[in-house]
Amino acid sequence: MSELQNTKIAVRHLDFYYGSNKSLKDINLEMPEKQVTAFIGPSGCGKSTLLRVFNRMYSLYPGQRATGEVLLDGENILSPSMDVNMLRAKIGMVFQKPTPFPMSIYDNIAFGIKLYEKLRKVEMDERVEEALRQAALWDEVKDKLKTSGLGLSGGQQQRLCIARAVAVKPEVILLDEPTSALDPIATLKIEELVSELRNQFTILIVTHNMQQAARVSDYTAFMYIGEMVEFGQTNQLFTNPAKKQTEDYITGRYG
Amino acid sequence: MKIPVFRTALVATASFLPISLLLLIIFLAVYSWPAIQYNQFHFLWTNDWNLGNLYGNPVSVNGHQIMPGAKYGIWFLVVGTIASSVLAMLIAMPIAIGAAYFLSEGIRKTWSGPLSLFVDLLAAIPSVVYGLWGYALLVPLFGHTIFPFLAKTFSFIPFLNGEAGSGYGLLTSAFVLAVMIIPLISATLRESIQMTEPALKEAGLSLGLNRLEVFWHIVLPKLRTVLIGVGILALGRALGETMAVLMVSGNALNYLPNNIYAPISTMAAFIASQLDSALQDPTNMAVEALSEIALVLLLITVVVNIAARMMLWMAKVR
Repeated sequence: MSELQNTKIAVRHLDFYYGSNKSLKDINLEMPEKQVTAFIGPSGCGKSTLLRVFNRMYSLYPGQRATGEVLLDGENILSPSMDVNMLRAKIGMVFQKPTPFPMSIYDNIAFGIKLYEKLRKVEMDERVEEALRQAALWDEVKDKLKTSGLGLSGGQQQRLCIARAVAVKPEVILLDEPTSALDPIATLKIEELVSELRNQFTILIVTHNMQQAARVSDYTAFMYIGEMVEFGQTNQLFTNPAKKQTEDYITGRYG
Repeated sequence: MKIPVFRTALVATASFLPISLLLLIIFLAVYSWPAIQYNQFHFLWTNDWNLGNLYGNPVSVNGHQIMPGAKYGIWFLVVGTIASSVLAMLIAMPIAIGAAYFLSEGIRKTWSGPLSLFVDLLAAIPSVVYGLWGYALLVPLFGHTIFPFLAKTFSFIPFLNGEAGSGYGLLTSAFVLAVMIIPLISATLRESIQMTEPALKEAGLSLGLNRLEVFWHIVLPKLRTVLIGVGILALGRALGETMAVLMVSGNALNYLPNNIYAPISTMAAFIASQLDSALQDPTNMAVEALSEIALVLLLITVVVNIAARMMLWMAKVR
């Protein structure tokens, strides 16, 4: 990693347990600020689990726990004194399946903003428009902002969820296989969107699709059965992997 | 020619329910027709139920044989039925929603199972048991302690002030009805909450909401059709409940409640309590008038259901 980039999130000796089952083993990783980091690996390798550590989503479920350190700007987010709600204000998340809230398109965006800021109507309108433009959705929905978000197509719903995440101005965005439920054209739009957002946010994306990782990310982490096998610049990792396992995976010998 | 047995059987079984409803309405209308003609619209809007002198000789009024002095007006029953059911819904909804949230999200899975079973059992208790409980426990408790306290504390609010009454009445009926319908609402709602996709809840949490905010702003609005649907069922049960209400309502006759502690009577309870006297009427007009009450009750439930369907439809369109 070049010295110019600041580390946004540093992971130190992270172990993760589902009950007594250890599913992440001694993960060490430094993710640079305002870059896209992709997590690839076969099913069950722990990439989604790792992503869910970054906003402490796992702590919702009893029996799941993480040990070690995850430093966001130097602050350990695993510490019990961490205010989870404030953490989640800084770290947005988009899920596999689109999850629009049962409210209008406008309210889907404004709802999150209202949690953190008190804005006048005009300012709120601007923020909603800004978020929808950032998510490349504005032109498609500007005439029907008052209609339900559930009426949009799958790809539009997913971009609505991205707009909702960016609207609260987070520092980090977690994307958990954001295109796995979408058709190729909608997928392409999401990928273009990720490329456009990369300069404003630190983006971590879990993907099943190696081509997607190669297309959208600056850095790639390859994981296998709970271990971080290799982490490096994406073009480096895909063209000249350091480990045999990585090479086997990216050349499709298993996966 | 081949007879499509399966199809015929399906049509026959499927049409059984609508046909019985239709036959029921027709029967009630035909049976109470003399009463409908005799009472006209006074029936609904007047507060005067009087079987007349059952020991006298029948007299003829407008071509109808009735007992002398007989009058049938049920406005107090309409008010009592609707007031007690609506009040019961107002009490039950928040409690049922809270209970459903607690059972599905508030406690660990190991506890929610047995506790949910307990709530489901509550829904299966016969109404007469609730009635007896209300009669033996609630009526004295409410009459001696709670109603006087409420009436004094809220003396500035209309319908909550004034005479605290004996413990038999509108609020006691509504409370018993609420206890009966809470398990019904909460059991259905609990299952729907558990079936809501985890990703939707997590999406709310990932935005920085706490679990209660996720429930209130996201899960509950998502379930509004379920809420309306189960609300109709519960309201239907409350409107038609007979025994439990009969035991705690105070069986008011020709009397409009002036506050929530006052005695009332509901249509269903009134039919049950009056049938014995009505059968003494040799002209049969009293029984026909009771069956007219049944017809009105049936029509009210049909109207409530249609209104609720429209709400459902609007909720889906939104």
